[in-house]
This record gives sequence, C-alpha cells and structure tokens, in this order.
Amino acid sequence: MAQLTLDEVTKTFQDDDGEIIAVDEVSVDIEDGEFLCVVGPSGCGKSTTLRMIAGLEDITRGEIRLDGQIINDQPPARRNVAMVFQSYALYPHMTVRENMAFGLEESTDMPDDEINERVEKACKDMGIFELIDRKPGELSGGQQQRVALGRAIVRDPEVFLMDEPLANLDAKLKAEMRTELQELQQDLDVTTVYVTHDQTEAMTMSDRIAILNDGVLQQCATPLECYHEPNNLFVAGFIGEPSMNFFPTTLEGSTLKGEWFEYELSDETVAAVEGTTDITLGIRPEDIEFVQSDTGSNVFDSTVHVVEPRGNENTAHLQFDESMDDQFIATVGGMKQLKSGQRVKVRFPENAIHLFDTASGEAIRNRTLDEIETVESVV
Amino acid sequence: MSISDGNFIDKLRSTENSRIGLYALLLAGIVFYLFPVETAVMTMFKTESAFARTLPFAPPGADGFTLDALATAWNTLRPGLVNSLLMAIPATIMSALLGSLTAYGLTTISWRGQVGVVVLIIAGIFIPYQAVLVPLSQFWFRVLPGLLEGFINTVFGLITGGNWQYPSRNGYVQLLQLSVTHAAYGIPICTLLFRSYYQSISDEMIEAARLDGASAFSIYRNIILPLSLPMFAVTLIYQFTQVYNDLLFALVLVNEPGSQVATQRLAALTGGVVQSFNTTMAGAIVAALPTLLVYIVFGEQFAKGVAGE
Repeated sequence: MAQLTLDEVTKTFQDDDGEIIAVDEVSVDIEDGEFLCVVGPSGCGKSTTLRMIAGLEDITRGEIRLDGQIINDQPPARRNVAMVFQSYALYPHMTVRENMAFGLEESTDMPDDEINERVEKACKDMGIFELIDRKPGELSGGQQQRVALGRAIVRDPEVFLMDEPLANLDAKLKAEMRTELQELQQDLDVTTVYVTHDQTEAMTMSDRIAILNDGVLQQCATPLECYHEPNNLFVAGFIGEPSMNFFPTTLEGSTLKGEWFEYELSDETVAAVEGTTDITLGIRPEDIEFVQSDTGSNVFDSTVHVVEPRGNENTAHLQFDESMDDQFIATVGGMKQLKSGQRVKVRFPENAIHLFDTASGEAIRNRTLDEIETVESVV
Repeated sequence: MSISDGNFIDKLRSTENSRIGLYALLLAGIVFYLFPVETAVMTMFKTESAFARTLPFAPPGADGFTLDALATAWNTLRPGLVNSLLMAIPATIMSALLGSLTAYGLTTISWRGQVGVVVLIIAGIFIPYQAVLVPLSQFWFRVLPGLLEGFINTVFGLITGGNWQYPSRNGYVQLLQLSVTHAAYGIPICTLLFRSYYQSISDEMIEAARLDGASAFSIYRNIILPLSLPMFAVTLIYQFTQVYNDLLFALVLVNEPGSQVATQRLAALTGGVVQSFNTTMAGAIVAALPTLLVYIVFGEQFAKGVAGE
C-alpha cells in the first residue's frame, strides 16, 4: 500500500535539433489505493511518465516519491512496482507457471513451495489455473493478458503500472476486461497508474484522470469533473465522444458574435467573463436541444447534413449554412428520427454552455451542474 | 488393388501441372547435388584398374571392388580427424558463446560508445586471413612466449630457476593456439548473426525482466540464451564448417606432424606424384563426415534459425 507522488517531474531527450521536452514539470499526488488513468494523444508523454515511475527511464528533473521516499535513483527491481505491458511481454519459452514465478525467484528469497503456492493462487484468482503448464504461444490474446496481469499480481507490489494493457484486445473482450480489471483493483486495493489513449477507458475505470498534452499536465480530476468542468479547450475537446462543439466568437455588450449566429448572454454570465472579448463557445452534442418554435432565446436554424444511427442514440451532423466548414454535432435519443437535408431549429441552453478564452484556451465559465440528480436507493 | 490404383491415377490427374513441374525441378536439384557425391562414393570402392575401365558414376563390378583405398585414407586421416575435432569443437563453441554474449551487450544493454564497438567488430569480419598470417605467427611464437617467459621467470623464478621454455614445439599447444585463433576470428561474424537476432527480441520483454528484478546476466542466462538456441544452431554449423575446413591457419600454426589436422592430412594424402583417384575420393568422403554429421544433428534448429522463428 503506498502513496505515490510525482513532484515537478521532467524528462528531456537530446535530439539533433536540441532538447525535446517529453514531460514538463508534471506534479500529481496519487493516493493509496487510488486508480489513476493517464490519458492523452500519442506522443503526449504519458508512457514516458509511466516508464519514469517504473525506473525504465531516467528522470531529468523533479522527484518521484513512494511513501515519502525518493525513488529517483532506485533501480526498477527495488521500487516494488509491477508493470503490465501493451504487448504483455511474456517470456515465450517459459510456461505460465514459470512466467509468473520468475519475478519472485529473481527478487525474493522465498522458498520454492511458497512461490508455487502464490503462483497457483494467483492463477486461480485470474481463472487461468487450467492453463498453468502451457506456454504463451498456446494461449489466446485474452488469456495472455490474464497471465500478464497475474504476473503483476503475484509480486504483491505497492504500485501497479499498466501501459495500455487492453489495447490489443477486440472490443467485446476489452469491455469485459475493463470491468474485471476494475474489480480486481478494488479487491486488491493497490495504487494503480494506468496509461491509455482511449478516453472511454479512462472515464469508466479511474478514480481520477490525468490528462497530458505535449508533456504538460492539463487537468487531474475525477472523470465527471473532467467532463463537466474542463480546465481548458484541450480537456474539453479530448474528453467525451463525440467531442464538444466549439465556435469562435467575440463578445460585444452581452452578445457573443459568431460567424453564423449571435448568442445572447445573461447578465450573470457577462459578469463572469468580464475582461475577455475573444471567447470560444463550447457545447456538448447531447446538450443541444431540438425545438419546434423560436420561443426562448438562442434558437438557431440549421440543416441536418448526415445522421449516424447508433441504436441507443442518433448522432446528427448539422450545418448553419450549406457550406461545409461550419459543421457541428448533436446527439438525440435513439427513438427520435432525423433525416438528412431536414431543416431544424436547435437551442443552446445557457446553463449547458462552456466559455473559453480563445487566446489562452483557459475555461472562463463551465456549465452549471444544477440538474444533477441522484437515484434514490430502495429500502 | 485396381481400386487403389485408380485412386492413385485420379489423384495424379487432379494434381496441378505446376506442382508436377515443381517436383520435377526438385528432383533435378537432388540429382544435380548428389551426383558428384555418388561418383565419389563409387570411385572410392574401385580398384585403380576398375576406375580406368568403368564410367566414374557406375558401380564397381565384383572384380573391381576394393576397400584398400578407404583403409589407406582412413589410416592417414584418422589422427588428423581427432586433432581437428579437438581443435574445432572448442573453437566453435567459444566463438558462438562469446559472439552471443557480445551481441547481448551490444543490443539489449545500452551504454556510451556502443556504435564504435559495433563498427570495429563488423570491420573485423572483413580482415582477410592472409593479412594476419605474419602478425599471427609472430604473436604465438615470439610475443606471447616472451611475455609468458618474463612473467613466469619473475613470479616463479625460484621454482623454475629461470630456465622455463615456452612449449612452442608441443603439438597440443599448437592445436590450442589454432583453436584460440579460430575462436577469435569467428567472434565478429557470430556477433553480427546474434546481434540481428537479438534486435528482433521485444524490448518490453527485457524491461519486464528488469522489473522482475533480474540482473543483466540473469536476463541473459534465463531469457536471451534459451531464446537463441536456433541461432546457436546456425552459428555452430557455420562456424564448425569454417574452422574444420580451414587449411591456411593450420599450415602456419601447426608444424608438429603428430598434431596436424584433417585438412593437412588430406593435403598430404592427395599431394603425391601419382594421382590415385580412389584414395583421393575416399579421403574427401572421410574428411567430410564430421561436417555432414553436424548438419544432420542441428539441421532442424538450423532451419528455424535461418527462417528467423
């Protein structure tokens, strides 16, 4: 059980063109037993961060502390962390049993029968006991994945590090393993750092999400905070599928003037954005309402361009004008049918809009969360 | 019987023409490669007169059959064969083992100046044997004895009384020198072969082993070594054939008649004024036996190694 602290951790690489900053002063406190997902686009430094925690990469500046102890210069084996790799990295010439026992044999003085006992217990927990004497080549992708997890569990580490462990599985198996992994982490209550580029994985599994872009930490918060109260444009655009719609506007009086529409703000909101004129308006696809009449403010005419039915909902690509470059996306329930080419009226409710400073990207005002309801328990 | 015949003919008919062509080509290949061997085997069992009378590849008649040539060749080559194996087996194993270790150090472990060492080793492959003959004999017969003598006289001066002689006339020492020379000369090519193989091994697996707490040597012994068995078969076959077939280094380094290797004995066997083809062929076949054996023993692993499995 351990608390893991990253304190202004920086990693730079030398290149022909000079210094490349892969990770830039990232600071995160990961609580004991917490499940932290690190997400970001490819090349954002998320894997490098994980590898620094594992000890596979040197840390250029900053400190990594495990329970208050600085572990910067400790070799990987001494850090008491276990890592699951995207490629599983199983030893192909060893059986499942040998794969899982290897770490215990190399890093502890544990007697053979105790090692065997722990390996067999971990195999039973992972539901791969009947495969224990097979080699990785004889296992399916999902089974190999379980062996890789089992190899990490059997070490009983203080921290689990996972580098896109589900990336090579097919969609259905991925969803299954996601739940299983979450249950496993809750049962074991081990501090976990999980790297992924898949924001769905991050949203569904983690206690908190750390979003990285270009090596800089953008936000570290609970999944719902990241979704509803993004710090900036990047987070707002990265979290959520389909992405939030953005419209560049300028504030004139109490009106946001965009290229295609004029948006009337309430006095309260105007006060909140005071001092900024270049504002990007953001609204999530599911917050856009289809209305019948112009009653109420901020209702705009648009044309349905393409409809993508998903069964549970329909994703509509809409246009204010017939030109191609003003597309935005709205989602409606699966029972509401839309047709391509149809003229519709859409409303952007003011309590659902996000406003960002266009120049810096910082969020000025996020949506209000007055409507959040809790499902009452049945006694 | 007739039914099975019918099936067979049906099968033959249904086989595509391209497949028949392929088999014909393969058969031609087999004949092409085995014909000289067959000729050599036939010749070695013929008397001199039978050799003159019959076609080279025809079997000897009852009157033309003899084992004399084989006996002569065997008796001449036997001590050479033993010496060759004594010299070639350790040399082969040493260069494969050292090559594999070097390659491991140059791929999966990273350190400064690696590229320079790789370049030097690759350059080592292209140094011709002839270029090193003089330095090589100088090293073994003058430099090393000088160093050893100085060392032994200093350290063990009292015991040897300063009269120690480097046993350069000892045949086994000469064989050892030849063996070490071949081992050293084999390291670059073995390193290159192993290196390209190790580069294909997943980095994540090595990292997983490091996280498992394995030391650099433990990773080599427990993971890299077991995984490189097919590559060992390739290097063992290649290196054994090279070392065993070499005559040049042997001529320069081995001058004691008792420690001559098979290639030297074979040269002596065929180097007479009168050419006796049956003895020559018998000698060639006997001398080729160990390499044939190596191919048969390691053949399957060799195929895996070459296919990069």
